[in-house]
This record gives sequence, structure tokens and C-alpha cells, in this order.
Amino acid sequence: MGMSSNPSYPAGTVITGKWRGNRYVVERVLGKGANGTVYLVQREGRRERYALKIGYDTLELQSEINVLTSLQSCRKRSEHRARKESPLSSYLLESDDFKDRDHTPFYVMRYVEGRPLHHFLSRNGASWLGLVGMTILEKLQTLHECGFVFGDLKPENVMVSSYGEAELIDYGGASPIGRSVKQFTEWHDRGFWNAGSRTGDQSYDLFAFAVLCLRLLNEQGLKSAAQQLPQTRSVEELMKLARELPDKKLSSWLCLALKGGFPGSAQAAEIWRSHIYRGRKTGHETMATPRWLKNAFALSLFLLAFTLYWVFRF
Amino acid sequence: MKQILLITDGCSNVGESPVLAAAHARQEGITVNVVGVVDYGTIGELGSREIADIAKAGGGISRIVGTPQLAQTIQMMTRKTVVQTIQQAVNKEVQKILGDGSLAELPPQQRSQVVTVVDELTETSPLRIALLIDASASMKPKLGAVEDAIRDLALSLEAREGRSEIAVFHFPGRSGSEDAMLDIDWTRNVSEVRSLFSRLKMRGATPTGPAIFKVLEHYRYDKLEEHRNYLPGEDDGAREGMIDGYVV
Repeated sequence: MGMSSNPSYPAGTVITGKWRGNRYVVERVLGKGANGTVYLVQREGRRERYALKIGYDTLELQSEINVLTSLQSCRKRSEHRARKESPLSSYLLESDDFKDRDHTPFYVMRYVEGRPLHHFLSRNGASWLGLVGMTILEKLQTLHECGFVFGDLKPENVMVSSYGEAELIDYGGASPIGRSVKQFTEWHDRGFWNAGSRTGDQSYDLFAFAVLCLRLLNEQGLKSAAQQLPQTRSVEELMKLARELPDKKLSSWLCLALKGGFPGSAQAAEIWRSHIYRGRKTGHETMATPRWLKNAFALSLFLLAFTLYWVFRF
Repeated sequence: MKQILLITDGCSNVGESPVLAAAHARQEGITVNVVGVVDYGTIGELGSREIADIAKAGGGISRIVGTPQLAQTIQMMTRKTVVQTIQQAVNKEVQKILGDGSLAELPPQQRSQVVTVVDELTETSPLRIALLIDASASMKPKLGAVEDAIRDLALSLEAREGRSEIAVFHFPGRSGSEDAMLDIDWTRNVSEVRSLFSRLKMRGATPTGPAIFKVLEHYRYDKLEEHRNYLPGEDDGAREGMIDGYVV
């Protein structure tokens, strides 16, 4: 069933759509997901670059395309209501089959330039978490309002632009609310921690988001908690890690998300916005000036005075 | 949908051929998947060939993994087989309508509709999985991981909308005459999967073939029970009927 041996297409390969006839030129591989390989492409004759995902399996990829199509139409409806146009925020530009190679299916989406969340934070510092977390929660909220859960939420599936704008990538794990979660990753999975079912609901994504934060702030701690025996593995372990974090407001937000205490992602996002994003510590967190710096400063003042005295004396 | 999931670490050495037993299962509409578990050393050429052959004869998938990947592998195999079974049924219908139209050749609009139906059925059609665990001496250190994997599978099945049940067997049974022993009968309850194999006495022989036959018998026996216990049209029956309706 269209199962190709997932070859990597070299730069310059032209991917022509069988049904719609558009031609895309491959620049490079962006990444590999569970259902396919994502390439950076340029539409022939145009300047814009897109991300193009080619599937390994017709059925799996079509299922993903179906989810993206419903998200797209849901978003269009809500944008129509709000009377605004945001052509940049689209889930899916088009889908087609690769004409020349076994009719392998593909779809084209907006290219998000950036780096995966964990790389972004280790480069720019954990102080960006408040902002980036905010944008992730907003994306989840939109998704939930359209009746879907993301499922496989982890740092690898979040792309962050240089200015902290986050975008969810790889909707292969997304499924309608109330259905079983299709794809998940052990550490981020509520079932793995004996903390609830694998039925997709808003709390499932919020739980995964909380683990994502813990992983970004204390990966070692999370790792050792995950290595416990399955019977003793519990959400308590995660909450202990959350409580150890220096930011107490973040701690209590995470604990609530881990317990499934938020009524939905709208409330979770709201509380994050008011307590973690806006409530960031200012001023009193600045570092105390080290003594050696004070001494050096005093010495340089003394040297200055001495030099001035010495200059003007002659 | 019915599946048998065999978890073993080597070759069968007693009784009928497991490949024959798997072929029988397939004939009766039961898909057989096989996982070979190896932690130290290899499973041997003979063992890995047998594992592949059983799965092939049973219309399923086979994988050879270490205990850390066990839970994830079982999860993936089960899901994949469910999708496959439904896809095969749906494909047959698609071909009836469109002649030689495989899924990949359908125009996007129609393909999208077919896949919506496949997804729907994957989630909602009733599913039964009989787990058949090799409890020969060499498996002993791996049984903890096997139990975790079973619990994990049960958790995923519980999340499905359709009625999903598992039963657990191990083989060989207590006495020489018992090919496989039933540990848990059909259940939907994850919490029943607890300390499954703690009191197990390990025995040397590996009667894989006879054990598969024993599970087939259980499936058959259960069908009789089902007719006795369920009123026609109730839950299972209704859903089963719905599939037929959908597919035809």
C-alpha cells in the first residue's frame, strides 16, 4: 500500500503533484516523523519556501491530512467570525501524490524557521519559558476548540523562531477528543505515569505539556523518576520534581496540570498568562555584585584619582 | 477482530508445528502476531526464522526486540494489525466498486473519505487479543517486563471507543498434558493485570504449536458462551452488525 522504502530525496529533486500539478524543488531534509520525512522545498517559479511532508504509508499520511483539513476549516470558520485574515497561520496548503515515484502521498505546509524547543531553550536560557510556554498553550487551546488533541507533545515537536514564537509541528499524533491517543512518547504520556487514561482529552495535552516543562528544567530528575518500576511510577514523583523548582508559581501551575486539575486549556492558558508569563520576577532577582568586583572598582577609582593627581601636578 | 499475540524467546520443541497452528488461526479469522524477546545473546537463526514464519502464516507481524522496547513494540504491532485488518476489508469493498482501485490510486477526495471510515472502524470495532506467553525457563527474567507490557497494552485498549478485551495464557501449563494455561479470561479491566506470573513454576519444554491450538479452542468455546450470555443485538452484536453495514 504505497509503502516506499523511505528514500531521502537529494537536493534539486522536483516533486510534481499528480492531481494538482504543482512542482516543488527539494532543498534539504528538515526532519523525520513517525509518518514521513519533511523536506524544505521551494515552489518552482516562486520565492517562498515551504515544508513538504512525504509519507511512508498512504493510510497513515491521509489520516494526518484529514486531521489537518478539519483543523484548517475550523480555523477558517473562526477567523471568518472574527473577521480577520491571517494567511500565515495555516495548517495545510495542499496535499497531492508524487507523480513519478509510486504515487507517494505528500502535503505542503508553512515552513517554520527555527529550532526545536529544547535546543532553543538551552541556547537562549530558561527565562524564555514563560513566553514560549504561553504561545504553546495558545496553540493547544485553538486545537482543543476545534475538537482535537495534539497527543504527542514533546520538545522535539515544538519549533521556536528566534523571537520565541512557538509552532507545533507533526500532527501525526493528533486525534479527535474522546478517541484513543494515536501516538505518544513514554515520558510525556499520562498512562506511563499511572496518572490516567490514554483517551484524548484536554488534560492529556496539559499533562504532556507539564512533563515537557519538567524535562526542559530538570531532565536528570525526570530521567531518574522514569526509571522506577512501573508499579511505583506515579504522578507524585513528577509533582515532587515540580515542587523543587525555584519558581513557586510555575511549580503550582505544573502540579495542577499533572493532577488534571484544570477544567480545560483555556483556563490553563489564562493562569499561565497572568501568573507565569506576566508574573515573572523583576528586580529582586538581580545578582548581588560580587565582592571582588567591588574591590576592583574601588581600586580603579583610586588609580584614577592618583593618575589625575599625578597628571595635574606636573 | 481477533488477534493472538505470541511472546517467546526461542524455538518450539514439542508437539505440532506452530506455523501450522498459526495457519489454522488465520483460517478462522484470527491474526497472529509474534514478538521475540532477547536480552542477552541472540535468538538463533532457527528461532528467528520460526518467529517470522509463524507471523507470516498467521497473517500478522513479527518483531525481535529487547525488554526495554517490549511495551512500545506490542502497542505498535497491535495497532498496526488492527488497521491492516480493517484496511483489507475496506480495500476489498473499494475494489468491488472501483475495479483495480487500491487506496493509493484513489483521487484525494475519495481517499480521504475511505480513510475516515478506516479510522472510525479502527477506533470503534470490537477487538479481542489473546496474549500467549512463553514461560519456559529462559523467559523467567523477562516476565516482569512482559507483565508491564501487557498492562500498558491493556491501558491503550481501554482508551478505545470499541469494546476491547484481552485474555492471557502462558505455556507450558502445570502438567505435561496441559499445553497452555489460562491466567486471565476475557477482561476489559486493566487492574486485573497484576502479579500475573509471580507464582509460576518454570518448565523446560516449549510446546508453542499446541499452545496456539489451545487458544483457538478457547476462542471457539467462547463463541458458544457468547451466544448463551448475550442477548442478540446487544453491544457486540450491534457493533459487529454496524461494520458489516459499513463495509457492504
